[in-house]
Amino acid sequence: MSFVKELSKGIIKENPIFVIVLGMCPTLAVTSSVQNGIGMGLAATFVLICSNIIISLIKNITPEKIRIPIYITVIAAFVSIVDMAMAAYVPGLHKSLGLFIPLIVVNCIILGRAEAFASKNNMLASLADGIGMGLGFTLSLVVVAAIREILGAGTFAGIAVMPKTYEPMLVAILAPGAFITLGFLMALMNMMKEKK
Amino acid sequence: MGYIGELFVMAMTAIFIQNFVLSRFLGLCPYLGVSKKLDSAFGMGMAVIFVMTLASAFTFLIYKYLLIPYNMIYLQTIAFILTIAALVQFVEMVIQKNAPALYKSLGVYLPLITTNCAVLGVAILNTKAIRTDGITAYNFLDAVLNGFFSGVGFTFVLLAMAGIRERLEFVDMPKSMRGMPIGLILAGIMALAFYGFMGFKI
Amino acid sequence: MKYYIKLSLILLIFCAVASGILAYVNSLTEPVIKDRKAKEEVATRSELIPDADFMEGKMADGTAYFVATSKATGDTLGYTFIAAKTGYSSKVQTMVGVDKNMTVLKIKVIDQAETPGLGANCTQDWFLKQFENRQATDLVVDKDGGTVKSMAGATITTRCIATSIAEQIAMLKVAIGGAE
Repeated sequence: MSFVKELSKGIIKENPIFVIVLGMCPTLAVTSSVQNGIGMGLAATFVLICSNIIISLIKNITPEKIRIPIYITVIAAFVSIVDMAMAAYVPGLHKSLGLFIPLIVVNCIILGRAEAFASKNNMLASLADGIGMGLGFTLSLVVVAAIREILGAGTFAGIAVMPKTYEPMLVAILAPGAFITLGFLMALMNMMKEKK
Repeated sequence: MGYIGELFVMAMTAIFIQNFVLSRFLGLCPYLGVSKKLDSAFGMGMAVIFVMTLASAFTFLIYKYLLIPYNMIYLQTIAFILTIAALVQFVEMVIQKNAPALYKSLGVYLPLITTNCAVLGVAILNTKAIRTDGITAYNFLDAVLNGFFSGVGFTFVLLAMAGIRERLEFVDMPKSMRGMPIGLILAGIMALAFYGFMGFKI
Repeated sequence: MKYYIKLSLILLIFCAVASGILAYVNSLTEPVIKDRKAKEEVATRSELIPDADFMEGKMADGTAYFVATSKATGDTLGYTFIAAKTGYSSKVQTMVGVDKNMTVLKIKVIDQAETPGLGANCTQDWFLKQFENRQATDLVVDKDGGTVKSMAGATITTRCIATSIAEQIAMLKVAIGGAE
């Protein structure tokens, strides 16, 4: 059952954003709409899963001293693949995520999981860890994006959900809204933890 | 408007109008992580300015004289990140050997900078940036100065944040708001204030 | 020393393998990207001026424009071109269709990365519609005393689109005048 355990821990108990607080830049930057949030989440998940698998496979042949440059090379290669594939097949999304696709390389979640988990565990566990962490990341992005999009544009994934009379709170979509939304969400998580 | 004027516009844009942290969302991890104390924020800021300036110079040269002529732009991400990682390592070694005092104050922050997305961010933005005339791409000096000014912009808001957070230490607030949540909300209010610079005509 | 050579060799092998894989992926995706861009341009052109054949021409600065001739009669219907200028945070590219008298028929934003919620609204219909039936001289933003209504909080983007079109029309006039 350890496969399921490794998989599920990333979603809630060790959620990369709300609990470990990693990968803040994309979380704030691309969550102005739900579509962007999902796109970013899935792109990062793909990179996370692939790099976790490769790194756990090569852990025996990577010399301790240069492990970080090797991990970075592996991650950067997968990021470039995602970048090119997205430019070719989902150009609209590629355009709106823009700079933040190559920046998946420096997303601390991915290097963090490589160093803390994949380099010490076998392939199957690393795969589960990658899927779990990736889903946790995607889920958090969607939650933040949903709040911002509903408040700031009155829509959810492009579909109008608020009554016509609702005047969109523009600030929620802009940069300040990102910080404030995430701040309150984290406070909420803390509050729930305290109650337990 | 001469070159000096253009540089002034570049500096103002990088520091205020499109601040790396508050409007471009780059370099948030150190911004939230190393802003609890003023002196550590200062150390981090200096290290970032230094590495961003150097990284802008090296990545620009690599982009212009290696990647473009040999038609290998698809290797951009991997080339830039390895350059930055090597650069940080090298700077660390040089400082450690020649300036132990400086190493003591900056050393702990240097390894963190490899994964600071502001550094890779400025390198990628430099390859796409266009001068104020709207046509010419950045030249070497532009790229280096843009790296420098962006680093200054980062340090500027990092110090402001650290200054505020030092005072927040003793404020009575709900336990669940302490630490990261209030830091994020503070950043939001600062970003709101920085929006006042938007649409500034220079 | 030998140890360090071994380390560099290992790192080199990793980089070489990674570059090789990337080169392969690039060779797969590059034609797809190019193909799609070309198809999109053709589709946008016929959306701006329907039922027309297009013929390419070059302006003074090397950018392309297209002469649209009616498929039915062969008469010149108008021209399309791409106007580009730096807006607030990105280069905004608009494809514009004009008739023979240089009156704007229709415009479409084909590339932009402006602030979401502000400048990025420039792709919305109500904004693009107001450019129709304007001469180059009417392309002035309300903030500058004209009649082009700017988007809330995004005067710079609006001004960028209006002036880029006006400038390109002026250039087009020169290019056509020179051809005749």
